[in-house]
Amino acid sequence: MSDKVACSHCHLEFTQEVMIEDEGHYFCCNGCQGVFHLLSDEGLDSFYDKTGDIKLAPPIEQYEDSSNFNAPAFYDKFVKTSNNSFSEVSLIIEGIHCSACVWLNEKALHKMEGVIEANINFTNNKAQIIWADHIVKLSEIIDMIRAIGYNAYPYDASLQEVHANKERKDYYLRMAVAIFASMNIMWIAVAQYAGFFSGMTQELKTILNIAEGILATPVLFYSGWIFFRGSYYGLKNRVVNMDLLVATGASLTYVYSIYITVLEHGEAYFDSVSMIITFVLIGKFLEVLSKKNAADTLDIIGKHLPSEANVIKDGKIISLKLEDIIVGDTIVVSSGEKVLLDGVIVKGEGTFDESNLTGESEAIYKKESDSVISGTISIDSDIHFRATKDFEHSTLSNLVSLLENAINKKPKIEQLANRLSEHFSTVILLFSIATFFVWWLCPHSFETSLMVAISVIVIACPCALGLATPVATLVGLNLAARKGILFKEAAQLESMAKIDVLLVDKTGTLTVGKPEVINETILEEFDKNILYSLVKNSKHPVSQGIKNYIQESLETVEETLFNSFKQLPARGVIATYNANEILGGNVQLLEEYSIISSFTSDKTLFFVAINKKLVAIYELEDKLKKDAVILVESLSNRGIETIMLTGDHERSAIKIAKQAGIKTFHANLSPKDKLVYVEKLQADSKAVVMVGDGVNDILALGRADIGIVMGSGSDISVDVSDVVLLNSSLISLLDAFKISDTTFRLIKQNFAISLVYNAVTIPLAMMGYVIPLIAALSMSFSSLLVVGNSLRIKYKYKKA
Amino acid sequence: MDNWVIVMMLMGSLFLGAVALFGFMWAVRNGQFDDKEKYLNATKFDNVEDLNDAADKQKKREELEKSYRPE
Repeated sequence: MSDKVACSHCHLEFTQEVMIEDEGHYFCCNGCQGVFHLLSDEGLDSFYDKTGDIKLAPPIEQYEDSSNFNAPAFYDKFVKTSNNSFSEVSLIIEGIHCSACVWLNEKALHKMEGVIEANINFTNNKAQIIWADHIVKLSEIIDMIRAIGYNAYPYDASLQEVHANKERKDYYLRMAVAIFASMNIMWIAVAQYAGFFSGMTQELKTILNIAEGILATPVLFYSGWIFFRGSYYGLKNRVVNMDLLVATGASLTYVYSIYITVLEHGEAYFDSVSMIITFVLIGKFLEVLSKKNAADTLDIIGKHLPSEANVIKDGKIISLKLEDIIVGDTIVVSSGEKVLLDGVIVKGEGTFDESNLTGESEAIYKKESDSVISGTISIDSDIHFRATKDFEHSTLSNLVSLLENAINKKPKIEQLANRLSEHFSTVILLFSIATFFVWWLCPHSFETSLMVAISVIVIACPCALGLATPVATLVGLNLAARKGILFKEAAQLESMAKIDVLLVDKTGTLTVGKPEVINETILEEFDKNILYSLVKNSKHPVSQGIKNYIQESLETVEETLFNSFKQLPARGVIATYNANEILGGNVQLLEEYSIISSFTSDKTLFFVAINKKLVAIYELEDKLKKDAVILVESLSNRGIETIMLTGDHERSAIKIAKQAGIKTFHANLSPKDKLVYVEKLQADSKAVVMVGDGVNDILALGRADIGIVMGSGSDISVDVSDVVLLNSSLISLLDAFKISDTTFRLIKQNFAISLVYNAVTIPLAMMGYVIPLIAALSMSFSSLLVVGNSLRIKYKYKKA
Repeated sequence: MDNWVIVMMLMGSLFLGAVALFGFMWAVRNGQFDDKEKYLNATKFDNVEDLNDAADKQKKREELEKSYRPE
């Protein structure tokens, strides 16, 4: 152990013989050596004092050409130019381990001529760089980051994050002011309440009123600005919303309190002004926190699609932008890569995973002159194909534009809070105006009538109403998150409680999505460790299924070293060891090696032969997830109908539907058919939840009232959906329904509480019986009641 | 107790509170709460050299802004 030396740059330890020695320093690779010298030359070697013993990843030496970053197309997409000619880009820096890495990157970039600002966020590794483009090019900046051992790639910040963060920060500031002022007003108010009962001089009262007035001013005009803005937009659209109620209530109270303070007669209500604004603002902030940014969905497009493909031009393989590839170009796809354009295979053969696009659960074998569809994945072989459509007209690209449409047309189930608050606000305003005229005509002084009218608005404090939904949904969201269910938007908890139909995809959602061994026939004893080593080397789903099966059946597995190993695309694998030959694969492979078997089955078969003698046969099948039956049953008890939609053929659909207890199912559906089906249900005014995992579900996921995706789903479907189930279990799906039901019930209770509160207090206020102490106390009491009630969600859910 | 004592105490405490509030708001606007770890760690690396760097950065920015001529 003692002869291990740490690399001077990355601090990883290796034996001394393999290290590169250089003037007393040891390096594990040329990359580390290069970075070390660069940092010394630039005078940045104090980096190593800062890292201490933290181990870094050695720099990767091969990178694509950085000149791509100077392409006009790249600038259009990612680089923003400010009016003083500075350019700005957002990058994600790869390889940041500690704060010293952040220091080094910022320092190195600041040293560059023309770089004005480099700001790296340690928590999420995102960097914002501002530079003068006429002095230094972006590619040089990227080269610098790579030279010091990191990598950078761009992301489009303008759409989602910047906007969301800005709004959040704005609310933080407004809330900070509101909370600060309210806390101070409250302790002054305590003195006033005490004085109200024990008596205090008018002079002292005025001093306290002025202090409260000073504190209430920024709350009303800075923190409360949001409500003025909201009521302006509401009035413009001819809607009386809660913002209007808050804004009129607070500003009338404010004006009246100033009037009282100047007149030195009566009670001022500055504490009510700031309390109303603060409480409702907190409720609003909670909503903003849990709201999905509308801009998010726009960013989906293109994010998950590679922008380039490898094309053969003049006998050489070059990378071309997808838009630049024309019909007739020959494209190279390696094993494991995605096909990006539609075309016809001109060279090679192999199996393709089309489950993503069609829901077909088994891999499909394709050979020369067969057509390939964009969006499918080549599992095990390298092929060349000729593009028959350009990118714009390819299946994948069509799917993306259809998706945009589906999302735009997505219906929104109207939220209870919006409907209620609109009526509530109108009624209260009318009550208050009526009270004023009744009192004035009764007759009372203008002053008294105004005060009573204002107290109606103040006592009808929308605090409880404003907190009713956000607090309950926040508790619900937290509970769901702990169960591995992520709701992207709080309002969806409410929408989900109103669902009529559940649509489920088959492959990967109801079923495990991978073939599993259901029957093993041993014809002759053999060492399963050898078979394990054979299938372990293949990525084909059938091989993986066999591998898992052996792993489970044997206590320990020993790996065999093969003399030779070969994958035969779409047929199987073959290997030699100790002068023996083992092969595993399908019927075609048997025929090729003239091995005869009469075994037939409607399931996927995997044959194993040693020295051309058949030793074992495995039958594999995609199995139903174990909780599927419980899910379908409990949902039907809740009055929700479950329908299965699949792209797979009828035969396997019938079998799975029967096992799961699903009465209605539709097979052979294309992604667009699924979309049409969702639209049809919605036309019958049914609220629809779609659950899926693959690209073939994204259109339906996007269009359904709620789209739920399994955590194992493709990235793009995760983005399109509204709810993500992290553990892919169907019990989580059931939990999601239960939690949303419970939450919605408690939201309704919260509304009931605040309405009852208002029904009792408003008449009292209209009759002029409300004194400031009671107003303040009851205001806080009703809010606490609503918050307390919301906390019962967890307890209620257990009983659901 | 004279009323002016109460006035002074009120004004004094509100002023101090306001100073703290403005400090907090300045820090939020400045992004000091965006990346908690970085700002905490920065105190470890804080030295004369870094102050000089910050000054150089500002100078560089001003020079570039001055030298820029719209095309």
